[in-house]
Amino acid sequence: MIRAALPTAALLVGLAGCAASPPLARGIPLELSRALELRDTPFFPQEDYQCGPAALATVLQASGIAVEPTALAPQVYLPKRRGSLQAELIGATRRHGRLAYQLPGTGQALLAELSEGRPVLLLQNLRVKALPVWHYAVLVGYDADRNVAVLRSGRHERLEMRWQSFARSWDRAGRWAISALAPGVIPAGAEASRYLEAAAGVEAAGDRRAATLAYDAAIARWPEEPVAWLGRGNVAYGDRDLAAAADAYARAATLAPDNAAVRNNLAQVLAEAGCMMESRRQLERAAALGAGSALAPVIEATRAEIEADARPGATQCVLADRHWPD
Amino acid sequence: MPMQRFRRSCVMLVSASLISLGLQAPAAAGIVGTSDAIAAVQQQNDRAVVRDVLARSDVRARMIGMGVDPAEVEGRLAALTDAELATLADNIGQAPAGGDSALAIIGIVFVVLLILELTGTIDIFKKT
Repeated sequence: MIRAALPTAALLVGLAGCAASPPLARGIPLELSRALELRDTPFFPQEDYQCGPAALATVLQASGIAVEPTALAPQVYLPKRRGSLQAELIGATRRHGRLAYQLPGTGQALLAELSEGRPVLLLQNLRVKALPVWHYAVLVGYDADRNVAVLRSGRHERLEMRWQSFARSWDRAGRWAISALAPGVIPAGAEASRYLEAAAGVEAAGDRRAATLAYDAAIARWPEEPVAWLGRGNVAYGDRDLAAAADAYARAATLAPDNAAVRNNLAQVLAEAGCMMESRRQLERAAALGAGSALAPVIEATRAEIEADARPGATQCVLADRHWPD
Repeated sequence: MPMQRFRRSCVMLVSASLISLGLQAPAAAGIVGTSDAIAAVQQQNDRAVVRDVLARSDVRARMIGMGVDPAEVEGRLAALTDAELATLADNIGQAPAGGDSALAIIGIVFVVLLILELTGTIDIFKKT
């Protein structure tokens, strides 16, 4: 019996993996409840080629941002491509004060988001790899007993797809899925690196308030994560709080002594705080660590700026009571 | 002293020209943003790390060429990280652009039925 079952199991596993690795599970993962549907998720019937703005408005409204697809279209739609790019959906999410958290490519990760009440914006390829038809939809539910995924999709307010068809269409699109997070909210099973990339995104987009909330939450969850401290330092620097920035960078440098960007930023803040000796020492570390890397020109620019600003004899270190990492 | 003033003016001149090129306003020349720092650690393509003025102006031009309202372009660029801009500069013409409606599913079902019909596997399209 067992010997007969083994080849069948191996065949099933082999079939499950399209091209991507590791293979996507065949059925609905059942670690969570058997069925769930976020029925209150809004719906915007899609105009021609406008599934990007419609799907994005769906998840943004579900996260509490009042925005319509017509307002989003000028922010994401690319007329000649007759569609919207993933990067721009992420950018527009940031512009509306939300973090675009990119989910791991597993069915389990999708359902975990639903179980925390957040619908998931995802990309599907409705045809084959060689002749793709790209489509954005929002996953709002599933039912393991009926083996279906429930989507807000195109002109369908409630589209049921057989789970396997849905999963394959998602797999063919690189399993791309994002969740719009209010700053400070971290999914229960979140990965630190994914969350911090999302937080760094709102920082790069210039939303310091959202970035501050996100980094504070990240530090509370992952206090040993150097990138979270680097981020907190950067937003503090943006707020012109030199002491808080220097302390956060110092913490990041203690946790990740070989990070050239952290040393560079610490050197910059120390110089502005008048602590020239320590600033030069940190910049030496940055230059040594970043030599030959893409950061080298940035570190050189920092050196030029620090030395241009240095006023001999006028240096009064306002952070003299601190001890800085070696 | 005059040397210092000279270097200072140089830095200011370079900064001003970079800003006028539409550079993502960095907090300061000497601060590496968190997303750039992440890209540096991951050793993504080098264009992604340093604030790449060329990638930005490249994407700007191509977006306008693809029909985006020039008044909207700056806001769209400002929402992206340097790494995302560098990637877009490489693939804005080929990256997946989600746009089609779920009606395309019907298309593939039709194609499959047609192939099956033509190969004689099924016979649902009644011929007289």
